[in-house]
Amino acid sequence: MTDLVRMEHIEKYFGRVQALNDVSFNVKEREIVGLLGDNGAGKSTLIKILSGALTATSGDIYIKDQKADIRNTGDAIRYGIETIYQDSALVPQLSIARNLFMGREPVKGRFGQLDQAHMNEVASNLLKQVGISKPIPPTTPISALSGGERQAVAIARAMYFESDLIILDEPTNNLGVEETQGVLRFVRNARDSGHSCIFIAHNIYHVFQVVDRIVVLRRGKKVADDIDPKKTTIEAVEHIITGMVEA
Amino acid sequence: MEKRSLLQRFIARPEFGPFVLLAILLIVFYVINPTFLSTLNIGNVLAFAPELGIIALAMTLLLTAGEIDLSVGSVFGFSAVIMWTLFNSGVASLEIAFVLAMALSLVIGFCSGFMVTRMKIPSFLVTLGMLLVVRGSALYITDGFPQRTWDASGSWLAELLVGDFYIGELRVWASLLWFILLAVIIGYVLTQTKRGNWILASGGNANSARARGVRVNATKISLFMLTAALAAFAGIISSIRTSAANPNSGTGYELEVIAMVVIGGTSMAGGRGTIIGTVLGVFILRIMRNGIILIGVPGLAYNIFVGAIILGMMALHSWLERRHNAGV
Repeated sequence: MTDLVRMEHIEKYFGRVQALNDVSFNVKEREIVGLLGDNGAGKSTLIKILSGALTATSGDIYIKDQKADIRNTGDAIRYGIETIYQDSALVPQLSIARNLFMGREPVKGRFGQLDQAHMNEVASNLLKQVGISKPIPPTTPISALSGGERQAVAIARAMYFESDLIILDEPTNNLGVEETQGVLRFVRNARDSGHSCIFIAHNIYHVFQVVDRIVVLRRGKKVADDIDPKKTTIEAVEHIITGMVEA
Repeated sequence: MEKRSLLQRFIARPEFGPFVLLAILLIVFYVINPTFLSTLNIGNVLAFAPELGIIALAMTLLLTAGEIDLSVGSVFGFSAVIMWTLFNSGVASLEIAFVLAMALSLVIGFCSGFMVTRMKIPSFLVTLGMLLVVRGSALYITDGFPQRTWDASGSWLAELLVGDFYIGELRVWASLLWFILLAVIIGYVLTQTKRGNWILASGGNANSARARGVRVNATKISLFMLTAALAAFAGIISSIRTSAANPNSGTGYELEVIAMVVIGGTSMAGGRGTIIGTVLGVFILRIMRNGIILIGVPGLAYNIFVGAIILGMMALHSWLERRHNAGV
């Protein structure tokens, strides 16, 4: 498998505080990478650099072996990197279909009319594809959906717009057991249809259930890169995160 | 989610409350005083309603995008004063003066929008400042005196803006046709177009809209410009219809316009707006003002009723919202 995204020798300073110290990180095609680390380990900083919310002090990013220049979130989206934050980037008052196509609305005719029939049809199919079990009309406002369903819509949007890499930042926070299983299923479905994912979660159990590989950061440094969740235990990974054991 | 019946869906719409209220007002006023529905009185309501209504249409879009404009009343008075001052002093023909006044209003709207979006100052404060600047300018230019009144007959521009004609005995002003035309266009834009989706998204969650490539700042600036332009347009229409350009005219209109919009069901918090509701809200407040006097309530008590209706409608909207989004 080739690298989809490669971050090399990333350093990030906030004033004199070093948040990332020579971190190199890669995601292969069709791979779900779990990014773990305690609070302040640098997970969010690393992800924000990749998604354009922050810029690195030094270091390079390569996407499909081409050097990438990501200065803002718009750049990242153009490079095929979609970030789904907690309480994901949806407009609660608008319908599922309108959220899916936000910023890239299909229009027809001379007066900029939205092609709502097309939007609704695509939305219905996507919701099925992402794995939402109960039928939800695409005209339902986001505010009427549960937390897990909202994650599903955000993931569906990333899949539809051919995002190569979907970054999920704490997608299972505040979700119930069943909802969490749903989100994990959406993530697997996304990988199976050809997308790569970075999965960040405090809950190691959730990470273990879904990822292909685990990367651990501690105090701004990468301390483990190639942990196979099938060949290790949660306790062992916990010890690496807290620094009790060096990887 | 179960399919709802047609009636249930109608009740769940934000326009349902104002629609019922308008119907009740019409019935109550008519029962107490049947001249309420005389052609003369309907003509009176229809003459004045479009002027505030045109501003309310633009204000609906602005509130939907999560912003507010308190300077519309000032722009209403200012633009008419500018137009007539230019015309009376012989600097420009009426047509040129009209174009200049409208252009100036676009500049005012752009300044407000620029300060709100680029300098990140809340629109309440920016447009409060703009209210004073614009009103002060109108007073300073005119020394506080009304501009010479002028007989509008004969100018094609005046005829186009506020000419009148009769349908049977009903006197109809061209401004009503402008209001209808603008309501149809703006309603279409808000609900059916990409631009409308951007307005809703900007008001609902500006950050996520921006991340998706929605041009939030450009959308908001253009709405400030539209609002100022329509406030100027309404002010000029009003000045021609009443043959008066008073630097103080439009004082307090901002609050009445905002009241019309929120009674109609548009959210002050942004992300939700309805032009149909605004049209209903416009007529609710105009008919209230007119009907209360006809049925013999002292005119000074008008504001008590308007205030009570605003509070009642807000309570109703909030109740309907909780009821229909139960379990969220």
